[in-house]
Amino acid sequence: MAFPHRPDAPELPDFSMLKRLARDQLIYLLEQLPGKKDLFIEADLMSPLDRIANVSILKQHEVDKLYKVESKPALSSSEQLCFLVRPRIKNMRYIASLVNADKLAGRIRKYKVIFSPQKFYACEMVLEEEGIYGDVSCDEWAFSLLPLDMDLLSMELPEFFRDYFLEGDQRWINTVAQALHLLSTLYGPFPNCYGIGRCAKMSYELWRKLEEEEDSEAKGRRPEIGHIFLLDRDMDFVTALCSQVVYEGLVDDTFRIKCGSVDFGPEVTSCDKSLKVLLNAEDKVFSEIRNEHFSNVFGFLSQKARNLQAQYDRRRGMDIKQMKNFVSQELKGLKQEHRLLSLHIGACESIMKKKTKQDFQELIKTEHALLEGFNIRESTNYIEEHIDRQVSPIESLRLMCLLSITENGLIPKDYRSLKTQYMQSYGPEHLLTFSNLRRAGLLTEQAPGDALTAVESKVSKLVTDKAAGKITDAFSSLAKRSNFRAISKKLNLIPRVDGEYDLKVPRDMAYVFSGAYVPLSCRIIEQTWPRKTTRLPASPCASSWWCSWVAARSLRSQPCGSWAERRGTGSFS
Amino acid sequence: MDCYTANWNPLGDSAFYRKYELYSMDWDLKEELRDCLVAAAPYGGPIALLRNPWRKEKTASVRPILEIYSASGMPLASLLWKSGPVVSLGWSAEEELLCVQEDGAVLVYGLHGDFRRHFSMGNEVLQNRVLDARIFHTEFGSGVAILTGAHRFTLSANVGDLKLRRMPEVPGLQSAPSCWTTLCQDRVAHILLAVGPDLYLLDHGACSAVTPPGLPPGVSSFLQMAVSFTYRHLALFTDTGYIWMGTASLKEKLCEFNCNIRAPPKQMVWCSRPRSKERAVVVAWERRLMVVGDAPESIQFVLDEDSYLVPELDGVRIFSRSTHEFLHEVPVASEEIFKIASMAPGALLLEAQKEYEKESQKADEYLREIQELGQLTQAVQQCIEAAGHEHRPDMQKSLLRAASFGKCFLDRFPPDSFVHMCQDLRVLNAVRDYHIGIPLTYSQYKQLTIQVLLDRLVLRRLYPLAIQICEYLRLPEVQGVSRILAHWACYKVQQKDVSDEDVARAINQKLGDTPGVSYSDIAARAYGCGRTELAIKLLEYEPRSGEQVPLLLKMKRSKLALSKAIESGDTDLVFTVLLHLKNELNRGDFFMTLRNQPMALSLYRQFCKHQELETLKDLYNQDDNHQELGSFHIRASYAAEERIEGRVAALQTAADAFYKAKNEFAAKATEDQMRLLRLQRRLEDELGGQFLDLSLHDTVTTLILGGHNKRAEQLARDFRIPDKRLWWLKLTALADLEDWEELEKFSKSKKSPIGYLPFVEICMKQHNKYEAKKYASRVGPEQKVKALLLLGDVAQAADVAIEHRNEAELSLVLSHCTGATDGATADKIQRARAQAQKK
Repeated sequence: MAFPHRPDAPELPDFSMLKRLARDQLIYLLEQLPGKKDLFIEADLMSPLDRIANVSILKQHEVDKLYKVESKPALSSSEQLCFLVRPRIKNMRYIASLVNADKLAGRIRKYKVIFSPQKFYACEMVLEEEGIYGDVSCDEWAFSLLPLDMDLLSMELPEFFRDYFLEGDQRWINTVAQALHLLSTLYGPFPNCYGIGRCAKMSYELWRKLEEEEDSEAKGRRPEIGHIFLLDRDMDFVTALCSQVVYEGLVDDTFRIKCGSVDFGPEVTSCDKSLKVLLNAEDKVFSEIRNEHFSNVFGFLSQKARNLQAQYDRRRGMDIKQMKNFVSQELKGLKQEHRLLSLHIGACESIMKKKTKQDFQELIKTEHALLEGFNIRESTNYIEEHIDRQVSPIESLRLMCLLSITENGLIPKDYRSLKTQYMQSYGPEHLLTFSNLRRAGLLTEQAPGDALTAVESKVSKLVTDKAAGKITDAFSSLAKRSNFRAISKKLNLIPRVDGEYDLKVPRDMAYVFSGAYVPLSCRIIEQTWPRKTTRLPASPCASSWWCSWVAARSLRSQPCGSWAERRGTGSFS
Repeated sequence: MDCYTANWNPLGDSAFYRKYELYSMDWDLKEELRDCLVAAAPYGGPIALLRNPWRKEKTASVRPILEIYSASGMPLASLLWKSGPVVSLGWSAEEELLCVQEDGAVLVYGLHGDFRRHFSMGNEVLQNRVLDARIFHTEFGSGVAILTGAHRFTLSANVGDLKLRRMPEVPGLQSAPSCWTTLCQDRVAHILLAVGPDLYLLDHGACSAVTPPGLPPGVSSFLQMAVSFTYRHLALFTDTGYIWMGTASLKEKLCEFNCNIRAPPKQMVWCSRPRSKERAVVVAWERRLMVVGDAPESIQFVLDEDSYLVPELDGVRIFSRSTHEFLHEVPVASEEIFKIASMAPGALLLEAQKEYEKESQKADEYLREIQELGQLTQAVQQCIEAAGHEHRPDMQKSLLRAASFGKCFLDRFPPDSFVHMCQDLRVLNAVRDYHIGIPLTYSQYKQLTIQVLLDRLVLRRLYPLAIQICEYLRLPEVQGVSRILAHWACYKVQQKDVSDEDVARAINQKLGDTPGVSYSDIAARAYGCGRTELAIKLLEYEPRSGEQVPLLLKMKRSKLALSKAIESGDTDLVFTVLLHLKNELNRGDFFMTLRNQPMALSLYRQFCKHQELETLKDLYNQDDNHQELGSFHIRASYAAEERIEGRVAALQTAADAFYKAKNEFAAKATEDQMRLLRLQRRLEDELGGQFLDLSLHDTVTTLILGGHNKRAEQLARDFRIPDKRLWWLKLTALADLEDWEELEKFSKSKKSPIGYLPFVEICMKQHNKYEAKKYASRVGPEQKVKALLLLGDVAQAADVAIEHRNEAELSLVLSHCTGATDGATADKIQRARAQAQKK
């Protein structure tokens, strides 16, 4: 289904196994605390949990009431409390306050803390410091991989990015290694493994160690997963910073896709309730348009609507028997499709309302200019105006970061003035934001040694013909850390197209950014792909298509802590 | 062969007992056995002797010697006894020697005389002294039972997990019982004691008098009692020379015997075979040994010298100064084969094989006879089984040869039993060897299991033999060879005369990467012997960091532990070390250690951020990290402080830190914020409303919305708000207020730095076309088209675009042309385009 047009695509591994595994483990853990109990769930575990076990399953295992873990004291009256939390110190203190309050009141209850995906020593330490280590029992729910779709897994670790890339905290790497281990145990050992970045390397090494410690019998099994790519997010920030323009990306931008599902508000559903919709390959309409450039989507949807109408219309000429057949077999499918279609059309309208305004066009234009590296001054002015007008705090930051990365840091004057402007607009507390962004390498100041790049931007402003491109590249390779330009030249990330970029039948994966940029991570996968094992006709469109698809879906919408695994076009010989 | 059954003695009609020599002992005993405390472990275990000087009067000036021998009399250890008087010796199931002292202390020694540990049997025992003690074995381990001077019993059922139980008092007990023993029923240890003609059973809570059924009258005292190896049977010897044999529950009498000897026997033990119906008791006096059972006659042996009986699972070992013998009931298979004139299939097969070797045709006759009866399978089985019960290798061989011969005439005889018996016998013969001295019988071996046997070999430091056995039996490495190698290594590290390097190298050479070997265990042992350096060297070979680190910490090599933990990538491990370090080092040193380990540092910072903010500050201070310190104070100004003064103070500290960090920008920004905060406070006081924590932009906007234009302008000047921002801001605010008059005034105040298109946009947003038009005329030519389009005036936009001859503008206008209304305009544009192209 993922590659309907590719008959030779091998079947996907059965990822629903991961779900069943997680569910069974959770049930086992719940049963460890026999009898009625109240379950406290951490907010950001709710959506993943929902995908694994719904409320009725929880009730079957004697979960009485569900509470959210929050700062308020809980009013549970149950004799047994079970906490399902991330291993965060904040949560430990919450639990400790609850237990200690009970102690003061002379109340005796049973407490169980289930950490997902694993527990950390620091958490147990805090429990001990708070004096309740002996009162609670701790367990781990090793739920490290959630299948969001039949071909997309996510670890759902929102703090990974911050912890690792900002704070340098490596504790999640073990979790990644364990997830890899799980995959290789379930789906056979991976014949090929690639990676870029420090974190990827560490994860790989830890994972290897795990494999060595455990003499798995899986050796010699037929591998279901052929290639593993481990990529650090920080090697390609640009992809995450550009505006999304394929349908799924825009849905995410507008409504936020969480754990593979989205809440469509009343303006989409055209009734007064909002609706939670699962966006995956099972949604036939969505699966056809998710990766299309937005400009094509409306056309497609109206075509679809016409087809649907025609199908409905067929019933006119029917006799009784045919009608019976139609009602019993096709009508339900049609109705379903009808419902989905109207939803997506509604969503499209909402997106159009927001995105077709002048502002969005200007934003995209600026992004493209930044990527191509011309009119830097104009773009900087645009960003400044963007800030001054308080358009959107997050988008302003996004543009600033994009400017910084493509230009290898801001020139000191701009760096100061943009920051000043930003703080005037959104408050002085963003001094901390900027300090963090600098540490993560997202928004930096050009070091004096990088003055060359400043010259470069001036040069490119002056001369905008082909010669300029060469000069730019020359300068880039001279600059110590300027990587974006060098890399994008080397890997041809910014397609040079004569005339209009054809978004309907794209020639490369840059279409996901309206032809402005090929996501680096995907290009690397494409380049690393062992060509000789591909049985395909060498059509660049076909082979790059799925890469962009991964880019648009996983790397974009889940910028951190998640990674996609695909087994695409290759055959394993 | 003729005399093979010569040493068989019939007891009753159905059973034979035989006694054969295991070893001739060449131990060089200085004392008579009778002068010694003797303890011999079951399952062919070692023998401990302690010359008992305390029995005689006050010769304690000579210290006694504790000697340990193998069952074959090879000396294993000899040490001078330096502790107090010993009452009793006994071996635990782990072959540790328990020495019960008079004061109730129990000293535990290893097989090689190495002191292991000691424990006490309690205060009561200490006060009343030990009168008598027994070591007994249950399925849980080995227990100690003690009779104190106060005629009370204390026992512990498992010395490995010491729980003392004081047994209830026997009413009216004035003197020590004439004999007593421990029983084990329903997993609980009891004590049975005899006082005069009465028997008492002590269990957990009560003391009950018991009477064995069928006891003849006239018994005035019990002289000896014996409980069988499995605790199922009990034998009582009375002062009338009568022996009562029955179940240990005392509910049933099995048989009785009257030997008419009134002298108290020295020892009495059961001699029975598992699953045998025969019951027999061996009674020993000074020079006489008697086997009695359910038969009117007994078997009698003469003892030439002092002997000692060791009850075994399937018989009795008897050792003396010169020999070591085994007495047991002849097993069924052997009996069938070797009984005189036996016609059992096994016997015939053995005969057939012998004839075959003599190349006599009788072989065929015998074989035919067995086959005619269809008993060949049974014959082979019998021969295999009997081979197992033979002690002499030549007999084993001839029986196995017979079995192998018989097998040839069978179609489908499963080979396992034959192969296993050959293997087992090979192992048994090896351990029975004089030099090894573990005289196990086949039944004992099966009961003990190969794993335990290997453990016992390891305990005797017979590593090569153990490894050979493992390899011979092809045991999995983890259970077999590597386990033994690990034990060897643990022994090796105790050799103090060898240098650390040599030991480490030797161990690594032998062990290599053998799976299942834990270098950390060996290292722990080395550390236990005080060889820290060796332990560290050994830990280098340990691949699992999780195992390295705790030991390194224990050895106080915390810094090494830290780097190992970091190498492992396991943050939990790093954290464990960190907390350890934190408690061990003073703060300064701790921080210095962290400084060199960035990974640990960031981990610790993360923890502090949530749990110990003050420590975090100290960390930054230590590193002179003023930038982070500044950020820290800024964060504090939001989180910790409620009062405005507190916040300003925190910000001031932050600003100072930023100055130190040479981050003037941040310092200035912070100072601005302080100013803003104070000002917002003043505004709230003077004007009311909410100002605190608004951004500068929002503060000004709020002022304008509230109609305080003067103040707004003042603020903009004070904080040097750029013109562009101010214009955007005012524009938006005034439009929100719909104060068109003021907006117009503002627009005319000077030339707009942001152009006039935004004015048009904002008016249209408020749906005020009238006002919008005013500004449209002032929009610069390059944005005119856009302005006109905003106003909805497509036609005029088209005109302007055509005038500009701008292709982009033309298409923009065209895209705004909708349906019929703008049809004319669209045509016009197309025409203009065509014209332009012509040119």
